[in-house]
Amino acid sequence: MAATETLQERFQTLVEEHKKILYKVCYSYCKNPGDREDLAQEIIVQLWRSFAAFDERVRFSTWMYRIALNVAISFYRRESVRSRHVVSGDERLLEAVDESQNQPEEVQVLYQWIERLDPLNKALALLYLDGNNYQEMAAVLGISETNVATKISRLKQTLRQEAEAKQNGTR
Amino acid sequence: MELDELKEKWAEHDKKLDQSIRLNRQLMRETYTRRAKAALWRLAAILALGSIALLVVIVSLGAFVAKNWPAARFVWPAIALDVAAIAALAALNAQIGMALKIDYNQPIAAIQKRLESLRMFRVRYIQAILVTSALLWTPMFIVAMKAFFGADVYRLFGTAWIVANVAFGCAVLALGIWLSRKYRPGAGYNLDAASGFLVTLAEFEQDASYSAQERSSMRAYSPEE
Repeated sequence: MAATETLQERFQTLVEEHKKILYKVCYSYCKNPGDREDLAQEIIVQLWRSFAAFDERVRFSTWMYRIALNVAISFYRRESVRSRHVVSGDERLLEAVDESQNQPEEVQVLYQWIERLDPLNKALALLYLDGNNYQEMAAVLGISETNVATKISRLKQTLRQEAEAKQNGTR
Repeated sequence: MELDELKEKWAEHDKKLDQSIRLNRQLMRETYTRRAKAALWRLAAILALGSIALLVVIVSLGAFVAKNWPAARFVWPAIALDVAAIAALAALNAQIGMALKIDYNQPIAAIQKRLESLRMFRVRYIQAILVTSALLWTPMFIVAMKAFFGADVYRLFGTAWIVANVAFGCAVLALGIWLSRKYRPGAGYNLDAASGFLVTLAEFEQDASYSAQERSSMRAYSPEE
């Protein structure tokens, strides 16, 4: 019983320390606040289930990203088929204070750009923006480092083209 | 607008997130203790109830075959049903086994491939049950009438009636296969979407070759630098 308590405490502390990952993944994969809450809960459940097998040699953030993104992609694919929009109760697992005020325009633009990507490239973009190196990204995604580099390069190109098209459109 | 410029803005946003988001620890604890248990219970209940029901059917059909041996007109329909029930039991257990083996702490490409294969398996399982039930209802009727009322359907309705029903079952089976290919299956998940995503995953995994422009862009910036 005491061992479970300790494990729970440790788990809670580690997730608390990395709550930003939870926020960014949920925000990138779900537009609807109800879905976001549902996804956050599913991620927590899967994190807890896998926590007993967590390998201390791996960075907690890498491990958390791997699980969170796996759950998010699976959730995204399920939800986009069902188009379900369930709004949970008043109590929220992850609460953001002054969400819109704290987000500068560029960050909102970034989230909008991420939103338009397919679920796999969303994961890639998130990992890149969070400063993970190619090796870490390759480990999380399960593809080669060369492949990661190519895909990042393509993402940059797409973003550049979109910005140019937008600029030309406003002129 | 460059991705690397936005990355700096993202880093600023990241710093602010520490203060602006709050994790409800109480709700988190309730979530992982309650929901994790509920999900496991649900899975266990499906496995237990489904397996028990199918085992009862398999054993009862075995007893029916033994009782009516060697009357081929009753034995063969019962054997057909028994084979279908054994296949359903094996498929149900395989699905649950696959679901339990999924470890989310594995690379995304590998896990998503497994999840998608499981979804396809589940869709095909439901499709198979739906379409074969049209074909299996005639042997089911023959066996049930004999087992519960001691009635001989061949004498009551005639062989022509049975043949017509089997033919109708075959037609429904063919129609069911055609419809399931054309429209969404009962599982609420499109088989085409699943196989399409598997193709996307395979493409995502494939090492893409660089274009000249990509090479120059990579030289211009690398996060490890």
